[in-house]
Amino acid sequence: MASPIAWRIATVGAIRDETASVRTYTLRLPDWPGHDPGQHVDLRLTAEDGYSVERSYSIASEPERAGEIDITVERIPDGEVSAFLHDVVVAGDRLEVRGPIGGYFVWDVPLGGPLFLVAGGSGVVPLMAMARRRAQVGSTAPMRLLYSSRTWDDVIYRDELETLGIEVVHTLTRQQPPGWSGYSRRIDDELLREVAFPAADEPRVYVCGSTRFVDAAADGLVRLGYDPRSIRTERFGATG
Amino acid sequence: MTVEERVLDGNAAGGLLLELFGVDLTAAPCMCGGCGAREEVARLDVYVDCPGVVIRCRHCHNVMITIVRGPERTWIDLRGTSMMEL
Repeated sequence: MASPIAWRIATVGAIRDETASVRTYTLRLPDWPGHDPGQHVDLRLTAEDGYSVERSYSIASEPERAGEIDITVERIPDGEVSAFLHDVVVAGDRLEVRGPIGGYFVWDVPLGGPLFLVAGGSGVVPLMAMARRRAQVGSTAPMRLLYSSRTWDDVIYRDELETLGIEVVHTLTRQQPPGWSGYSRRIDDELLREVAFPAADEPRVYVCGSTRFVDAAADGLVRLGYDPRSIRTERFGATG
Repeated sequence: MTVEERVLDGNAAGGLLLELFGVDLTAAPCMCGGCGAREEVARLDVYVDCPGVVIRCRHCHNVMITIVRGPERTWIDLRGTSMMEL
């Protein structure tokens, strides 16, 4: 079994459009050691002149899938790696990855619930691995996802989220479809109060998104009486 | 992008720290040598777009760890960290 820190060669399998700017890539890794939901991989691109660049991408897939993982990548304008993945990479290409990485922003079934997941944009990716894992093993731990997107068309995994047996509450911050009756603003304390489990239920909380989003949501939950230690956070960068 | 948007957290340094120390450090509590706050590495502020990687206390902003990589060796400055639990 290869060490989690060794760079290994992944072969790109299926590539799937999630939204206009987000794609999921299946990476085939025959000796993949398995992962915990919430963990990420580092991906390295090296040019012919030796210049190399690394980025971290959360694993979207549940650990039950042997020998392959999915990563879901948002194309960041001017992003060196995400633009390469979106514009150049095709099935059959080979990429260098290492992982799984991370022991803090992880959840697995024995930890139980209730679970309150808070996602901003592509911050939903590691939380999706948790939701898929929970569904795959038939866990009954209550799981509620509060998911902030710009528009309905920007919602990643939109259809699958309805099939996982979890509660999903959307907020659309920029534009809403006709007849939209859900939330239509950035996450604030009142919204959190309406959607989050009561602090007395002692939920486990995972928040992932941009730095500004994560800090706003985590600070709001602390103001609602959540123990800061119960809130696990992961900030996504915009360097892409 | 503002400085506030550029700051990530210790999750982003997980691969580098695993490579250098051989164990996952994101869940390892460590104590700030400046203010004494104890936080998991994942909860520290991390700047990855400087020359090297700079890890700061999220409370007092003291520089806890800096890592500079050269072609053949790596320099790790831990002066700002008073303790790390593995």
